[in-house]
Order: sequence, then C-alpha cells, then structure tokens
Amino acid sequence: MSRISNDTLRRELLATDEQHRSSMNGLRSLIGRLFESTADDDTKAGIAVGFDRRSLLRVGGTTILGATILAACGSDSKSISTTTTGASGATTPASATTTAGTTTVGTTGAISMDITILRTASSIEELAVAAYQTAIDSGLVKNAAVGDAAKLFQAQHREHSALFQSLTKQAGGVPFTTANPAILAAIKPAIAALKDEAGVIALALQLEIVAAQTYQSNVGAFGDLKLNAAIMSVGGIEARHAAILASVLGMPAVPKAFQVTDKAAAPGTGV
Amino acid sequence: MQLSEQELHRSLREIDDQHQEGMATMPDDIRTLHSELVASGPPRWLDRPGVGAIALGALMVPLAALWSASTVSAAAGDAAIAAFAESVELAAVQAYLAAAKSGKVTTKGLLDAATMFAGHHQEHAAAFASAAGAAATNKPNPKLLQAIGGQIAGAANEQAIITIAFDLENAAAATYMFALGVLTSTAALQLTASILPVEAQHAVVLGQVLGKAGKDLVAPFQTADAAVDPTKFPI
Repeated sequence: MSRISNDTLRRELLATDEQHRSSMNGLRSLIGRLFESTADDDTKAGIAVGFDRRSLLRVGGTTILGATILAACGSDSKSISTTTTGASGATTPASATTTAGTTTVGTTGAISMDITILRTASSIEELAVAAYQTAIDSGLVKNAAVGDAAKLFQAQHREHSALFQSLTKQAGGVPFTTANPAILAAIKPAIAALKDEAGVIALALQLEIVAAQTYQSNVGAFGDLKLNAAIMSVGGIEARHAAILASVLGMPAVPKAFQVTDKAAAPGTGV
Repeated sequence: MQLSEQELHRSLREIDDQHQEGMATMPDDIRTLHSELVASGPPRWLDRPGVGAIALGALMVPLAALWSASTVSAAAGDAAIAAFAESVELAAVQAYLAAAKSGKVTTKGLLDAATMFAGHHQEHAAAFASAAGAAATNKPNPKLLQAIGGQIAGAANEQAIITIAFDLENAAAATYMFALGVLTSTAALQLTASILPVEAQHAVVLGQVLGKAGKDLVAPFQTADAAVDPTKFPI
C-alpha cells in the first residue's frame, strides 16, 4: 500500500517537471564534463561530491520516488515477511548441508530466511534490469554517456541476479526470476510520468539506493554466515552505482559517513 | 567553476549536519556493538582462504597465504578485526591530512573533498575503536601510514595524490569485504556493512576526478582482492 496517492504523486511530479526541464541544459553540461573528462579537477570534484545545493531542489522528484518505493518495501521494513512459504519457500531440510564452498548451517527457519532474502534480492535485481531497459527504450536518455552507464549498470544487475538465483538454489530454494512485483507496481505511475533524462536518472538512483540499503540491512540476518559477504559483494556495487548517478544529478555522491537502511526493502517484499 | 566558495561551504555544512544527524544514535549503537563483541565467539578468519592481492599504489602483496592459520594470531577475533580496521581508518585520516599538507593538492574542491572524506574516516575509526574495546590502539596503522606517506611524498602532482587516495579507498572497501566473510557478531557485521559502501563511494568520487571510465569505477562485484593484509600491516 502506497503512503501517498497516485494523484498526489502525479501532481507533485508535474510540479517538479518544470524544474527538471529547466535543469536539462545544465544537466547535460554536467554529464558531459563528468563523463568526458573535460572539466578541470576543481569543477569535477565539486560535481562529484555533490556540492551543488541548487541541484537538490532541481531533482526534488527523487524524494517523491523514494517515498513511493519505500512504501512498497513496507513501512515495517525490519519485519520479516512470511510470504515465502509454499511454492517459493525453502524445501531444504533442517540438517542441510554443504554446497560449493558454502556451508549452510542452522535450523529450517534460518535456511528459509536465507532463501527469502536471496529471492527478494534477485527480484530487486530483475527489477533494476527491467528499469534500465525501460530507460534505454524510452528515448528520454539523450546523453550517450548516460546511455552507456545505463547499459553497464544493467549488465551488472543481470550478473547480480544470476548470483542471487544461484545462491537461492544452493540454499535449497526456488529462485525468483522476475522483477519484484510490489516495487514495480509502486513505481509504475512514476515511470509513466517520466518526461526527461533527469527524471530517469533520479528513478534509477532511487532503485540503486533501495538495493544498496536492502543488502546492507540483510547483513547479520543470514543463517549461513558466508552470505553476508556474498550480498555485500553486490551491495558495495549498488552503492557505487548510486554515487555515480547522484553525482550526475549534482547530488551528494557520499551523503553520509555511514550508509543507512531507511529505504531498505523488507525480506519477502513482493516475492 | 559553477559554485561560489560561499555556496560550496554552505553545502559542506549541510552535509556535515547530515553526518551529525546520522551520528545521533551512534554512541548507543556503539555501546551495544561493543557489548556484543565482547561476548562474541572465537575468531573465524583463520577459517578463510586467502584471496587475491592488495594493491596500494606500488604495494602489491600476494594474499594467498596471508590470511592463513599460520600468519594470523589465534587470539584474533571480532575485536581484533575491529582494531585492525580502526588502524586502517586512522591511517586514511593521516593520509588525507598529509596530502593536504603536501602542497601538491591545489584544487580547492579537492581539498574540501579530502577534508570531508577524512572526517568520514575519523568517524569510522571511532566506531571501530568502540567495537574493538580494549584491543583498540587509537593509532594509525604504522606500516600502512609509512607506505602511504612515502607514496605521497614521492607523488609528482595532484593527480598522483588522487590516485593514491583512490587506491586507498578501494583497498579499504576490499578490506571490509574480506572482514564481512570472517566476522561473527551481528553488530560487527552490520557496522562493517554500513562503512564498506561509503569507502566504495569515496573511490567513485576520486575515480571520477581522475577521469576513469565507468567500468573502472565499478566492477560487477566488490571483491577482497585489494584488501589490506593485517600480517603485512600489523597494528
């Protein structure tokens, strides 16, 4: 359930659209200087660290999108969903097991939790793959460097999904192979309202933040301790994606000294 | 330059406010972390195979045996890992200070970024020190500091300094990647997981300044290949 209505979202997106459009010339200039390495270091550092306070206002839509995604992830994001039972749930007995370098220990509950987290993770990765494809196909991305970044990030998300699906299988679960339906439903209105490149990048940024924070929030929750490193091998990359996208938008690439988890999706969200 | 210095400093203050806000619950969190670490189980990093190599500028150290049972103290546990991490963070703080004082970094925006990153590392060090408890040294890693200090002293120009910082941030991220595979307590794992992404983002910023291509800023997976080795850089 969304915390804000679709009408409200559309109204606010329209309100920010003018800001987006007015920023496009500057945005293209920023992207050009950042990706094509023609800026002096002083300028690039300013862009990269996100010192442009005015840009925070220009891309105010990201806040709205963030709230929408967060709502889809559940207000009780620290709670544990039980929707992974049944066809998608763990079939591994409590005594299992060792697989390809991954020692799985603990109770059926712990294994089930691992599977739930991994299925949620692959669903988020599949969503990212789909979102970047939408962005690529939309015609809204005009800057070649942004297009190249979208393709690179999409390819990496595809690899991340494959990893999580493989780990799901190793844990005895059924991999989740499609885009997370709950988050997808939540962001569909925002996708439909996208009108420009800045909006596309802002949405991608929010998805990367959700992914990065989700994986961080999962650390410590695994029955199989080796999965902590596995999930952060992806989480660290999503944080890099987010930094790049934020800097393109003129937002802080490193917003805090410690990454937080307020936008994390709860395990089991949508899967 | 798009921004006036006044605007830039105002933005820095705002970012700092965000940091302080984020730190508001940190003392309580750290106390909880510390109590959990004290009660944490036996060390697990003896169980892990070596991975890759560390790359700190010219320092390439094979890790094949560095994390093996023969080279790591059996007394090492989560607290020892936290103490090592604290020493790495403090070395990073000193590295940024040395870079700033070297006179080789002349770009104002870079100096501001270095100041901010040093502040982050100081906060990370404080968190790891609390996690380490009595094992904390409150000192920068001496050999790491020596190695980086030498690199900074020998750096020809600003770009070379940024490259050193870029390698250092990537090494820190890789070190925590490895730590996540050996830590046992939930609190220590979560603390490390909250810091790794920030080091990775520091690296991205520095890599962007260096004009690195996207694929050089972000690999498909974060690895431990460039991890700082505690046996080569003991605390």
